[in-house]
Amino acid sequence: MKISYAWLKEYVNLNLSPEELASSLNQIGLMVESLSQLEEDTVYEIETYANRPDTLGHLGVAREVATLLGLSLKSRNWPLRELAKPTSELVDINILDPQLCPRYCGLVVTGVKVGPSPDWLRKRLEAVGLRPINNVVDVSNYVCFSLGQPIHTFDFKKLRGSRIKIRKARKGETIRTLEGTQVELTPEMLVIADETTPVAIAGVIGGEESGITDSTTEVFIESANFNPVSIRLTAKKLGLSTDASYRFERGADPNAAPLAAIMAASLLCEFGARASRGLLDVYPAPRKPRAVTLRLRRINELLGVEVEPDFVVKTLSGLGLKLKEQSPGLWTAEIPSYRVDLEREADLVEEVARFYGYDRIPSAVTPVKSFELPADREKDRVWRLKEVLFHHGFDEVINFSFTDPEKEQLWQTGCQSIRLQNPISTKLSALRTSLLPGLVDNAVWNFNREAEGVHIFEVGNIYFWEQEEVHREKLSLGILTTGLRSGRTWKEPEKETDFFVLKGAVEDVLNYLGYEPVSFEPATHPFFEPEQALKILVKNEPVGVLGLLSAALARNYDLERPVFCAEIDLGELLRKQPRPFAFQPVPRYPGTSRDLSFLVDENVSYQQLQQQLQKLNLPYLEKYQVYDRFRGKSVPPGKISYSVRFYFRQAGRTLQTEEVDRAMQEITAQLKASLKIQLR
Amino acid sequence: MSTLQEKINHYRQLFTDLVSRVKEAREAEELRQLFLGRKKGHLTLLFEEFKNLGPEEKKTAGRVLNELKSEIQNRLAELEQKFQAPARARLIEDPTLPGQQLYWGSPHPITLFQREIEKIFISMGFSVEEGPEIETDYYNFEALNFPLHHPARDSWDTLYINDKLLLRTHTSPVQIRVMEKKKPPIRIIIPGKVFRRETPDPTHLPMFYQVEGLVVDRGITFAHLKGTLEYFIKALFGEKIKLRFRPSFFPFTEPSAEVDIECIVCSGRDPECRVCGGSGWKEILGAGLVDPQVFKNVNIDPEIYSGWAFGLGIDRTAMFAFQIPEIRYFYENDLRFLRQFNRR
Repeated sequence: MKISYAWLKEYVNLNLSPEELASSLNQIGLMVESLSQLEEDTVYEIETYANRPDTLGHLGVAREVATLLGLSLKSRNWPLRELAKPTSELVDINILDPQLCPRYCGLVVTGVKVGPSPDWLRKRLEAVGLRPINNVVDVSNYVCFSLGQPIHTFDFKKLRGSRIKIRKARKGETIRTLEGTQVELTPEMLVIADETTPVAIAGVIGGEESGITDSTTEVFIESANFNPVSIRLTAKKLGLSTDASYRFERGADPNAAPLAAIMAASLLCEFGARASRGLLDVYPAPRKPRAVTLRLRRINELLGVEVEPDFVVKTLSGLGLKLKEQSPGLWTAEIPSYRVDLEREADLVEEVARFYGYDRIPSAVTPVKSFELPADREKDRVWRLKEVLFHHGFDEVINFSFTDPEKEQLWQTGCQSIRLQNPISTKLSALRTSLLPGLVDNAVWNFNREAEGVHIFEVGNIYFWEQEEVHREKLSLGILTTGLRSGRTWKEPEKETDFFVLKGAVEDVLNYLGYEPVSFEPATHPFFEPEQALKILVKNEPVGVLGLLSAALARNYDLERPVFCAEIDLGELLRKQPRPFAFQPVPRYPGTSRDLSFLVDENVSYQQLQQQLQKLNLPYLEKYQVYDRFRGKSVPPGKISYSVRFYFRQAGRTLQTEEVDRAMQEITAQLKASLKIQLR
Repeated sequence: MSTLQEKINHYRQLFTDLVSRVKEAREAEELRQLFLGRKKGHLTLLFEEFKNLGPEEKKTAGRVLNELKSEIQNRLAELEQKFQAPARARLIEDPTLPGQQLYWGSPHPITLFQREIEKIFISMGFSVEEGPEIETDYYNFEALNFPLHHPARDSWDTLYINDKLLLRTHTSPVQIRVMEKKKPPIRIIIPGKVFRRETPDPTHLPMFYQVEGLVVDRGITFAHLKGTLEYFIKALFGEKIKLRFRPSFFPFTEPSAEVDIECIVCSGRDPECRVCGGSGWKEILGAGLVDPQVFKNVNIDPEIYSGWAFGLGIDRTAMFAFQIPEIRYFYENDLRFLRQFNRR
């Protein structure tokens, strides 16, 4: 909202510089976003709020400034040159829906000569960014931007019959608006109609047919009050926002309606016209002023500062509230009709605070009376998980929760995706059901920008319909690795990532967070190549998948390098009880290790080896590790050579060679019998 | 004599041939045995033969034989040194070569900044709460005192899923969810993703992060709000940062305030400043005392309890703090951008 310094001076004798005014406006919350110097004026772009329609006119802003500065508002006279003929003989106002139109005022002005406005008026309008059109239109804008009360002017001769009806539109009715567009009206829209058709969409925009033209000589001035919700719904439905609808939907002051009509008529009289005698004012159920109780004690309790009662009275009276002191420090305040925002004591406390100055309220520490133990360490665990992945060299990304439904279809996540009713674009019209498409997009983006390797993860929600009408949002972890892991250095050649880089990260995440036992099972999944994926299980329940991105998906993204990715259902995982941490004594006796090299059929998986070893009861076996695995020239075809190192330890003593030998014999026998290994 | 000389020549040639094929310490040792072995070494045997020569012959042959012996010994000693690599490796050949670096992944800047904010509040005894991103109109608007069809909703342009569900436009619904299940004292912050129907541009995106703070207790005042936020801003931006509180409007707070901080880029000195537009101030958060209607909506008596709340855009504040010109950098996930933040 643009405010002119010169215009404000019509209402209050300002004696401060334009810059001082700006800082005063800021203090009371009429934030000056910018200030521009004109030749004879200064214009402020101020921020206004949805609950303060009174500040949408210069009078309202002047009232605020006057209150802050301790000045009084000037009273202005709006004399009329009246005709002998009473208005009531010229028009008859019928409010058919007083819910939607609580008040309607009007009068007729004759002998109007439509033409350019005088200089002063043109300057006012230009200052606030309005284009002067002609004296009649300019006057209605001047009134609107003075009082915040929109008015409308009709070419009186174009209205059929003398009856003005304020009614809902009828089905099928249309109107051509002042903007020149044909609009279809619907039955919940309020219109102003003459004997036959709508001539204006109430509070939103006038009709072209009854609009002011150069040949207009008689003008009907409408100044009314309309229901804010009705105006808002109509304006929204029509996709229109006008100066009028903007004010009415915020709640215009019903008591400003008569003054606005008189002011407009008076100005037209000044330009040579004459007004019909007596304002028609239809106000079937006058609104009673609200009364709010205010306690001085409450002001001090809420603000944390002692405010003098005199200050309270002076400020609120300045704003137009009528204060009645019930007892010392207790008032009843009658709220002026232009302040739709003041309904409760807290609202009045804010008024006191605004004018007292937020900067004068002291700063204090918010007292702590008790400490609470953190109820849930889930957030800590998510951070721990991220730390493990940082350590593995994965960068964290954050992608939009929105996605392209077409892409969603491509991935076949198996989840019923949630669509938005009013998306920004079709490409952002669904909610993601997996984190992996986003991660693959990130890989493509970075490969296109000189990256040679992409190792990333994301923690975020995925969303889907669990059943009809039942939505779910689930915390998920996505990890992706592709391309080079590290470049070539003088010490080492470059390293390419692979599946086990990803698997190791997943294992470490689960391990460091204390989730066990962890196991893997071969899986078939639409994201991955056949037989190139594993299901991740914790406590024998599936929590995620990992694998090699399917060739079909990779082709779709023009990805040439293999992409390995994993997705873990964190909601499910974090619900599980991690192993509590327990200190283990540091071994005091030395352990011993033995190597076993053997050939095994290539169809035997490592997991099968593990399973066989698990069957043995070997109390001294601490752990074992594959340290070599190969096939080739020295290995017969169809076989794989394994070298496994077994570590043995007994807590209370040094192990005997024979004990370790026996264990090794058991291991060898078991593997020979079950998997037909041949020792090398 | 000629026979011995011939033998010497023969063994010299043999040694030269063999020594060139030596690849490891073991082979060098074998070679030593072959030539200098105590019983059957070629040279040892030649010295045996030498003993049988006459005095004249001994003169010349002795010199030649000793020459060959020292040649062989020197060459073997060289090899020995060469194969003693482990010992040599203890020395740094060229310490000016670059070190071996380990790559640590980088946290996303939003995560990083959010954690910095969380840490400040946790140090003041706050706990961290979270809530759903898909919300109902009730939690997102109605309970927060936004009347239906009120223009106040315009500043929170909403993405709807259907007539009942929407994507939360702020983290404030979590205030309601917490107050519904927990009685005062309440002292929490609520970080999270929020969504608005905004067309992407350098400072707006349809998804961004907010952090919300809420304190509810007996005797909470506006002065407490000021004191806490001042401490928070100074902890985040440094002790010298100036800030100002000015009146504003939010349906769920009364009185409401907006907090501006001094422009850290120009300190108000540059009228063309890209960051503050020359005003010298940057709007950073909205705050206020909890509106009594909000308390009523969660059955907390506003006559007994009062509280304050604030909300801050994490992205926008991070942009300001790190002087990042465009909000979309955060969600492009360009590694060259992201990886800068593990240096922080």
